[in-house]
Amino acid sequence: MSMRVGVLGIGKTPHKIQHEKSLKDLGVEAGRKAMADAGVDPSEIQMLYVGNVGSVGFNYENSTALMAAHHLGVVPAGAVRVEAACGTGAWALHLGCVAIASGLYDTVMVLGMEKMNDLATVEGTSIIAQAADSKEEYFSGLTFPSGTALTARKYMQAYGVSEEDLAHTSVKNHFYGARNPSAHLRFECTVEEVMNSPKVADPLKLYEVCPMTDAASALVLCREEILRAQPNRPQVYVTATSMASGTWYQASDTLDDAYNLFHRPATRAYEMAGVTAKDIDVAEIYNSFAIQEPLGIEGLGFAKMGQGWKGAKDGSTWLDGKIAVNPSGGLLCKGHPLGATGATQAVDIVEQLRGTAPEGMQRADAEIGISACRGGPGSVGAIHIYQRLEG
Amino acid sequence: MTVSAIEFTRLGAPKLHLFAMKCDKCKELSPWWERSHCYKCGHDTLTEFELAGKGEITNYTVVYYPPREFLGQEPYVVGHILMDEGVTLPAPVMGVAPDAVEVGTRVAATLRRMKLGHEGDIYYSYKFVVDDDPAPKKAAPARRAAAKKPAAKKPAAKKPAPRRPAARKK
Repeated sequence: MSMRVGVLGIGKTPHKIQHEKSLKDLGVEAGRKAMADAGVDPSEIQMLYVGNVGSVGFNYENSTALMAAHHLGVVPAGAVRVEAACGTGAWALHLGCVAIASGLYDTVMVLGMEKMNDLATVEGTSIIAQAADSKEEYFSGLTFPSGTALTARKYMQAYGVSEEDLAHTSVKNHFYGARNPSAHLRFECTVEEVMNSPKVADPLKLYEVCPMTDAASALVLCREEILRAQPNRPQVYVTATSMASGTWYQASDTLDDAYNLFHRPATRAYEMAGVTAKDIDVAEIYNSFAIQEPLGIEGLGFAKMGQGWKGAKDGSTWLDGKIAVNPSGGLLCKGHPLGATGATQAVDIVEQLRGTAPEGMQRADAEIGISACRGGPGSVGAIHIYQRLEG
Repeated sequence: MTVSAIEFTRLGAPKLHLFAMKCDKCKELSPWWERSHCYKCGHDTLTEFELAGKGEITNYTVVYYPPREFLGQEPYVVGHILMDEGVTLPAPVMGVAPDAVEVGTRVAATLRRMKLGHEGDIYYSYKFVVDDDPAPKKAAPARRAAAKKPAAKKPAAKKPAPRRPAARKK
């Protein structure tokens, strides 16, 4: 089926450590920005989908969708929280799209939010590890960085790729992250600096790992006719939403599995939107660890298996390359506020299609964008396609 | 966010012996956590299968930032160990410097303290050490072939015979 869900408004908080703000503050800030951008009143929101992963652990709060509904003033709209590891924000977006596409609702809000820095790193690491089988597989002392490090070494072994080769991905992301005013880490770095940064989980080094971040992002979605009736607004639509699950264990997660995690839902998404991988101008690809960017590039069909790392080195995935991958700086620079990330990716792509991305990050004449979010050891694949469709 | 000692009774004791799950139908071996269906053929009955405890490092990482339960052990090596029976298990590898780990190293299982629970309860389980067997087996057999012919079982004498529940059969 084809689908056109209007993006009426977007909003996001800065992505950084924000001790002065609570989870509630972050959610309200992003939600209000999105409603202001959309020109809608809270009373017009008919349903609120909140993506939030770890409030029970990070903040000792639960039922955060109900909290957000109250403080955004969208009561009596229905409100629900959705969780699917790091794919959470993308799942909230999926539900928002389904709600509109079904014809049941006219206007809904998607809100992703996470407040990770109330706890020390060791506690945060333990909570994040719950997005894998923390009782069984991670009984062995694995964490998300170290679990993904095993994937990185598997990739290096299979394709004869060196750590230096992979370091170019971080260099590219940090080049753009330095230009992103809402990014958590804003500095450029060289291959040498990536190689010399402290080890986090061999072979992953600090500059190949995203920071823990406090942030929220929101979108107001509407039926196509509502956005069409406002021709002065940017005509950006979500034209495909496609979700998949995958393996729940690092030990059985092969490179084929990692490829299929995006390849399967992306194939459906391209069909739904009526586009191909070659048509995509700009992509936001999940990279909480640098190795996930080449894996994502391959799964989305932008490069063959084992070749996804090359674009960062030869320039073809830079802003003016064949396809701009992560011109926001990716999660490596924006940080990875778990439940917000999928929504942030969507907001960043919408900015690209509107032509309002910050200076140094805007892909010229971007018309078709894609966001790819993943979660768990290899457990969630979430693809959305966005298009600027005038008239 | 605490986990009570109640959980210890579920997670602690079963980790005192080294086993895989064997598919009753296709005989594929899976890690101990695959109890509901065979990852390969989908069959829903798997039986515990005791492992001899020898294998080879096929992949590894070094953890510098551990979860709370492993604090104080860092940096530590976690490897993917391809057991001689043909199943890959994740496990810490002891006695090797983080910069000296090598893929292909022969390792043997040994019972050690694994981690501390939230109430100070100590979890024991299998970690691996470099196997100083003077005549290590040649390259590990192919996975499928190995599953057909399990390596000879070592007498359990070397290890303290742990009390464990009778083999579960789903």
